[in-house]
Amino acid sequence: MIELSQVSKRFGDETAVDAISLKVPNGKFCALVGTSGCGKSTTLRMINRLIERSSGDIILDGQAIEAYDPVKLRRRIGYVIQSTGLFPHWTVARNIGLVPRLLKWSAEDVQARVEELMGLLGLPIEEFAHKYPHQLSGGQAQRVGVARALAADPDILLMDEPFGALDPITRVKLQDELAGLQARLHKTVVFVTHDMDEALKLADHLVVMRDGQIVQQGTPLALLQRPKDPFVESLLGGLERGLKQAALSRVKDHMSSLGPTLPSQYRIAADCSLRQALSVMLRDHTDRLTVVDQHDVPIGELSLRRVVKEAQLEKGATRDA
Amino acid sequence: MTHSATRRSAGGVHVTQDHLWMRPLFWGVLLCICVAGIPYADALFRWLEPDARQVIYQRAPFYALLSRHLLVVGVAAVVTIAVGVAAGIAVTRKRGRDFLPLVAQLASLGQTFPPVAVLALAVPVLGFGTLPIIMALMLYGLLPIVRNTLAGLQEVDADIKMSARAMGMTPAQILYQVELPLAAPVILAGIRTSVTINIATAALGATVGASNLGDPIIAGIINGNMAYVVQGALIIALLALTLDSLFDSMQTRWRQRLSSS
Repeated sequence: MIELSQVSKRFGDETAVDAISLKVPNGKFCALVGTSGCGKSTTLRMINRLIERSSGDIILDGQAIEAYDPVKLRRRIGYVIQSTGLFPHWTVARNIGLVPRLLKWSAEDVQARVEELMGLLGLPIEEFAHKYPHQLSGGQAQRVGVARALAADPDILLMDEPFGALDPITRVKLQDELAGLQARLHKTVVFVTHDMDEALKLADHLVVMRDGQIVQQGTPLALLQRPKDPFVESLLGGLERGLKQAALSRVKDHMSSLGPTLPSQYRIAADCSLRQALSVMLRDHTDRLTVVDQHDVPIGELSLRRVVKEAQLEKGATRDA
Repeated sequence: MTHSATRRSAGGVHVTQDHLWMRPLFWGVLLCICVAGIPYADALFRWLEPDARQVIYQRAPFYALLSRHLLVVGVAAVVTIAVGVAAGIAVTRKRGRDFLPLVAQLASLGQTFPPVAVLALAVPVLGFGTLPIIMALMLYGLLPIVRNTLAGLQEVDADIKMSARAMGMTPAQILYQVELPLAAPVILAGIRTSVTINIATAALGATVGASNLGDPIIAGIINGNMAYVVQGALIIALLALTLDSLFDSMQTRWRQRLSSS
């Protein structure tokens, strides 16, 4: 559990972070989103004390962070940055094993852990263990960066625009892998990004920041349905907001059982997002799709009318709530 | 060493640099040949100075001059490296940062001072002999080392240093495991400049009574004997080439370790 209350950071006369309060429960994924210079990276670095805050309290697992020795504190918090920060004079394996070695694990334990992590992040050992960072592609280097951050199995993971420098295809791939890892490992993650799609895709809790302050926070769905002001709305994609919301729900949660009418010849997998379904409808000029499972067996039906109606109902429900 | 080399070759990036040490070896062998062979090359130098009474410098054997020359340069180098690198490290730390401009200026001041002037000033204080020349060499050789240590440490990517800190490395661990290894090629280049300059400068020590490879040159100039001058200059030049190419190989080796491709 990470708890920030009324945390501020001033550099001289400039207030970088202005009295922000934020709670990240254990195992949750919190994304800080905002334009550059809004204080999101500073907020992140105050958590592992790379930057000392000017005022307010940061509490980690029930204890104020001053109670921890900064060096020991950092060894139990994973940290990933955009430029990876890998040591260019160390091999991939040595880079990954850094924190376990700092914690004085035995050589065999470090070795075993490095191999485990390389497997987890899809880096074949024979191919990568003895390579140097400059021999890796951007995506591979960031996998190593993530492996290094996870090496000592920290409960908390801080990520500062980790995928910001990658090409779109690699970025999406790594986002998917991170989502998969998080589903298995349940780390408490604070993730800084300016890419709203990335935040919507990964986060349980979304925090929108501007000029050092939190403008709005809540679940991605809550923010999409009720952006507080035009700034949040524009960050959420303005007119595209509906599609972004559709991207958050799965086809299988919206399908109806196969009806008496003839099934549509157009098919969509149950695991696809509603946004993809809408796209297929537009492409194939149809308002009905047959939902199939992974073996291509029809299991239901999705109609445009139903999707629209459900959205209406949801909106009504949140309004009443 | 061999272990890491074979491991790297498994990664497909093995670079054999057997010829890496060939150049310093070549100059070193040539240096030895000259030191041992000049006393027997009477005929050759006679051709240079046909009228002189003797054409081979006799006051001390060349190997003795060479070893004393090396001793002077070596002592000066050890002290300057220790002082220069330590100063460079100190002023790039948080606590010493205020002294950065001062140290940078002092080091450049050492360079603007002509070595002869240092000798002239040092002799009344330290007397004749080897000490004043070591003093002069230290002052003179300090700048390139301090300057390159500063540059090397400041060039280390800020993100790498930050991530080292974020991983929970202590300041000492960051210095020894990250900053110094990454700055090493640049620092080594500074040491190389310093030592190479000092090999030549040390010859001036002969003017204040330090007996080294400058002796034959000074004696040759005084007595108008070109053969002496050539003998001293030749050995100094070969010594400089040997050490310079040795440093060159070390730098190449280190660069390969940093970015072995």
